[in-house]
Amino acid sequence: MAAQGGEVAAGSDPKPNEGWSEEQPSSSQYQPSASGHHAWSSSGASWNYPVDNSNQNAVYYDPQRDVSVSGATQNVTSGAPHVTQPAVGTANATNTYAPYSNSVQPGYNAAHYPNYYYNYPQPATDSSVHQGVDQSSGAAYQPLTSFPNSGSYVGPTSNTYYNAGADQTAQAYATNNYYYQNNAWSGGSSGDVHAQTYQTYTPSDTNAAQSSCSLPTTSFHYPQQYNQWSNYYDQPAPNSGGFAVAGSSASDTKSASVGSGYAYPSTQPPPPGTTQRKNDAVAPTAPPQAAGITGFRSQHVNQAPGAPGFQSQHVNQAPGAPGFQSQHVNPSPDTPGFQSQHVNLAPVTPGFQSHHVNPSPDTPGFQNPYANKTAAVSGFQNHYANQAPAYQQNSTSHGQLPLSNQRDEQKALHAQGQSSNVYSVNHVNENSQPTLQGFTRTVASVNKVHIPTNPRIAPGFPMSMPQTGKKLEVDSSLKPAYVGVNMPKNDVNAAQDGHGAAIQGSFPVSLCTYVERNLSRCKDDAQRSATQSIMKEIITKATADGTLHTKNWDIEPLLALPENAKGTFMTSNAKDSSPFSFSTSRRSPSRRTKSRWEPVAEEKVTNNMEVVSKEPAKSNACTTWENTRRTGNTWNLGNFVQSRQAPPSQWNQRPSKKQRIGGNTNLTKNGNASSDSDKEQDLTKYYASSIALTNSPEEKKRREHRSKRFERSQGASSKSMSSIPHKNGAANVYTRGAISMLNNRSNGDGASLAVEDIDWDALTIKGTCQEIEKRYLRLTSAPDPATVRPEDVLEKALHMVETSEKNYLYKCDQLKSIRQDLTVQRIQNELTVKVYETHARFALQAGDLSEYNQCQSQLTRLYGEGIAGCHLEFSAYNLLCVMLHSNNKRDLLSSMASLSKEARLDETVKHALAVHSAVSSGNYVMFFKLYKKAPGLNSCLMDLYVERMRFEAIKCMSKSYRPTVPVRYVTRVLGFTRVDVLCEANVADGLEECEEWLKAHGAVLTVDENSGELQIDTKVSSASLYMPEPDNAVSHGDASLAVDDFLARAS
Amino acid sequence: TPTPSAASGTPTPPSRRLLGSAFLQEFRNWETPWAMEAMHMVALEIRLLAEKADRELVMSGKNPDKLQAAGSFLMKVFGALAVKGPKRVGALYVTCQLFKIYFRLGTVNLCRSVIRSIETARNFDFEDFPVKDKVTYMYYTGRLEVFNENFLVADQKLTYALMHCNPQSESNLRKILKFLIPVKLSIGVLPRRTLLEKYNLLEYADIVTSLRRGDLRLLKQALDRHEDQLLKCGVYLVLEKLELQVYRRLVKKIHIIQREKEPSKAHQIKLEVLVKTLQWLGITMDVDEVECIMACLIYKNLIKGYFAHKSKVLVLSKQDPFPKLNGKPV
Repeated sequence: MAAQGGEVAAGSDPKPNEGWSEEQPSSSQYQPSASGHHAWSSSGASWNYPVDNSNQNAVYYDPQRDVSVSGATQNVTSGAPHVTQPAVGTANATNTYAPYSNSVQPGYNAAHYPNYYYNYPQPATDSSVHQGVDQSSGAAYQPLTSFPNSGSYVGPTSNTYYNAGADQTAQAYATNNYYYQNNAWSGGSSGDVHAQTYQTYTPSDTNAAQSSCSLPTTSFHYPQQYNQWSNYYDQPAPNSGGFAVAGSSASDTKSASVGSGYAYPSTQPPPPGTTQRKNDAVAPTAPPQAAGITGFRSQHVNQAPGAPGFQSQHVNQAPGAPGFQSQHVNPSPDTPGFQSQHVNLAPVTPGFQSHHVNPSPDTPGFQNPYANKTAAVSGFQNHYANQAPAYQQNSTSHGQLPLSNQRDEQKALHAQGQSSNVYSVNHVNENSQPTLQGFTRTVASVNKVHIPTNPRIAPGFPMSMPQTGKKLEVDSSLKPAYVGVNMPKNDVNAAQDGHGAAIQGSFPVSLCTYVERNLSRCKDDAQRSATQSIMKEIITKATADGTLHTKNWDIEPLLALPENAKGTFMTSNAKDSSPFSFSTSRRSPSRRTKSRWEPVAEEKVTNNMEVVSKEPAKSNACTTWENTRRTGNTWNLGNFVQSRQAPPSQWNQRPSKKQRIGGNTNLTKNGNASSDSDKEQDLTKYYASSIALTNSPEEKKRREHRSKRFERSQGASSKSMSSIPHKNGAANVYTRGAISMLNNRSNGDGASLAVEDIDWDALTIKGTCQEIEKRYLRLTSAPDPATVRPEDVLEKALHMVETSEKNYLYKCDQLKSIRQDLTVQRIQNELTVKVYETHARFALQAGDLSEYNQCQSQLTRLYGEGIAGCHLEFSAYNLLCVMLHSNNKRDLLSSMASLSKEARLDETVKHALAVHSAVSSGNYVMFFKLYKKAPGLNSCLMDLYVERMRFEAIKCMSKSYRPTVPVRYVTRVLGFTRVDVLCEANVADGLEECEEWLKAHGAVLTVDENSGELQIDTKVSSASLYMPEPDNAVSHGDASLAVDDFLARAS
Repeated sequence: TPTPSAASGTPTPPSRRLLGSAFLQEFRNWETPWAMEAMHMVALEIRLLAEKADRELVMSGKNPDKLQAAGSFLMKVFGALAVKGPKRVGALYVTCQLFKIYFRLGTVNLCRSVIRSIETARNFDFEDFPVKDKVTYMYYTGRLEVFNENFLVADQKLTYALMHCNPQSESNLRKILKFLIPVKLSIGVLPRRTLLEKYNLLEYADIVTSLRRGDLRLLKQALDRHEDQLLKCGVYLVLEKLELQVYRRLVKKIHIIQREKEPSKAHQIKLEVLVKTLQWLGITMDVDEVECIMACLIYKNLIKGYFAHKSKVLVLSKQDPFPKLNGKPV
């Protein structure tokens, strides 16, 4: 360690390289290449070029070989490196981080890594990349805390890595692919950066691409891999679970703690949720290693903390060499090289070198880095910041293995490593589902490669490709596209991808996200390939007619999911586009960086554009990096952004909604937000996404609509049942437009946009539903225009309800839905008043006071705003309601005080006031007189008071009358007679009813001896009167909620 | 000594509240209540300014929310004063300012929490408070009781306020009487006309007269005439309930007359007589209604006796047929 440390200090100088080699005998093998140390720092420029080329070359040959080799070699390598590396590893690790801090965050460097930084100027570049990652993760920053941990780096154990990997994978499983994609992207980007620094790392790009690709098959692999992991860790699943939990909320993600904690918590006390898993994983593996692991983890944390995505990268890397390898391999030839590096670490080195050689002139530089690796993995790590750690870990893990209790020890580690690689690949795949199938294929091939090495893993991969060469080609082809994406300006891209590159370079972001959206919806390869082919067609067409850049891809309907389509086409465009989108759309991340860390990130971004043409000559790795990757930076940033933005949204949402989110992400690309505004953006994003979320019927309709559109190209498409597909489409457009407006607004405003400042007008939807009848369903999400009826339809609906013969429950349901539609469309006019009035009347007629009160309060407000309606009538109802049912004197006073002169002349109001005076003086006779001639619906309100009034009256009578009161009189006075006209039948009925009522209330009835008339014995009755429990009483207090009614309503 | 805020200048409520907050912050740290007056002045100024601001806001068509904000600030002040120690005696003043705000805002239900802390907190001894604050406090809590139609408690509180109010401040006395008189009326105590004249409370004069005479028509006229005013100050419903007392007085008068005319039947008042009387008063009620009113009078213990439905006669008790209310509300 000490030696390394010294070297590190010297790091910036070429000499350090020597030191490295010297220090580590095992690494000596690599040293030859190690001479590259210098190359690293200085060769930045050269790297750039070679990288691309090399990538391609490498892609063809190396990947598989490397892979296979790597498996075997790893073991060997692990053994060797272990011994030496432990110390180195730590040093390296620290170095790696140091660079980060240096380039990106001054604070970081100062704190922990200043020393190391010198050693590895190049790493600085990496750090920048990492920064990007961190930024992307947003939360990642919290990881800063974890950084200090990195200092502890001591001996990152393979276990740790694995754990991390496992966790990540688990995450991937648990979480949405989308999220992972982001992560993967970021990872990829980071990888790219590293690669660039190193040389080729185009492969990393490819990795990213791969990551972008999502394969259903992948999922299969995962589980299996999982199992393997489980063997190692015993608790892969739990980990994943924990991870998922941690990641589930965007906030969590943001809180770096989640990422960091989760990934590396085990050793460290810190992280909350995540910690558990890692701990678990660690525990099984090897306690002794824990310390080392921790350190390692911490590193990962640092890198990863940002976001899950980041972690995923780590995972890839973390798996140690394997993860690393996998990435590289997948990505491209470079990857193989990378793997070979691992190999290098082991005996394989030759393979590695060869790769590099093949790739290009850069090779030397490349080799050098590797050599460094060999000498000290740390060096390697430095370059690959993200990966590097993993690498070290591998080495370290190997070294540690003996110590650890791990079953298989080195082998196990290797297996893990491999598995991890595969795993990582898988992750990538999942993550990158949106990407093209081609990538997936690559992944598959990668898998195969690994498979041989790891028997366990092998079963996992359903798709074994005997002919790696072809596959590799495919991969390479794909990769180029990807590369192109990353580095649109590079010639390499163009070379790699003929049309793809060209197109890629010029693809608008929105298109990329559009493609991504479409692809993300695909559930399997078949769909994906079909979608890709369609996308290709679309893009080609758009390019042909020149609408590629003018078309608003954000509002372009998504393609229908092909059911059986089997297109293998290509991908290039689509693939390219998707990656490209990522690369293009990243300003916010950089911004973020700036805000947090100061200008560094910002400068990079700005510089990138300028530097492009400039000389890579800058001695600093950073500059080199920038030069090579001016795009790369952006790209990374972009990835970060995505990871940052998309993940949160995704966590909250379901996978099915990914696409939308993606679209939203694009929209935000130009935001200039401070950290605060970033939050708000997230908020708005949530909101937007929630708006975009559609319930299944709507979504279905849209899909149908889309499928219709693309029927020709698609072939099999389900016919839409919807009667108004175009309407739906329009609705979508509208919604998206609103969302984009919102986003643009928030972006444009830049600064903080408070929620209350949101222009709700822009978000107010306009319904398109033409159905007159609609059931009420309380909204749990933003309203969908397709299910909201516009005003004219609502008018019809109101009329329908008014003339309906159905019962109140039906009407209430319908009216509530009308009210809802009015509310969500923010319609407040005469129609609104009419609806509320209608509902209030129906409610009064049905005795539904609670519903009436809702309407009344709304009506009071609406009348207050000067909207015409039956103002007087309802002020009378209000009076009656207050006096009879709320019994609140102050409310009554204010209601009465607010009556205008005009209102007092109104018949209904006068009646209400009369009722009031009757009630206040206890004049039951007057009350029932008024009850009989009540205008409007006053009687309905009085109905609810009749029982009480009668009981009061009978109490009064029984106390004040002696000796008896004829029932006939009571019948008349207390309103039992239905009609004023006293025909015999009515009187008889009333008498009967009154008698029943009196008996029910405990009155004692006697028959007059002379006339035979029924009388109330008041003296006796006065002591026996009681108020019976209402017949219709229900325990929950609301008879309308009775089950029967519910059932009736439901039917 | 900082004497914050004499009403100089035209500070806006927000800035004044800033001043208030700063002052409150300091005030919390002072152990002695030496700045109590200043604190009170701050509270008063904030309230007055908020009221003024709200008026202007209303004039300009904006949402008046300043007074509400002032209320929440004063609650903080109250919190700072509602502590053990010498500061506590200043709490009632702030309480009264809060009452004023709440009554103006119509959110009198918010008074409850303050009242509870004043009346139940151990560190408050009501007698420790300054008299002026006690009077104000009693005035407002009495008004609250009027709203709740707890006439006995209201009478008690308002009477306390009246008795302890500075006799020189006639406007305050008038305010108290404005509520005390209806309360007293409802428990059967009638004011002298001179009192009404002295304090310019003549809107009650007719009502009192109607109560004396049993003149139902006059009562209704008086209520109609002053309805707006009475509704606004919240005593309309109280006065409305005097109707039964007027009936009682009417029956009593009939009874007295009848006793003089034919002592043997003094206790039996025929329903038709009552109906005729009411018709003479210009009030058209049919027999059933009058019968109902009589039943109500008996039911509510305004009249002792019973009603014989068959013979349509109101039979009065021979002993004390018209019991005094004696402070008991109807």
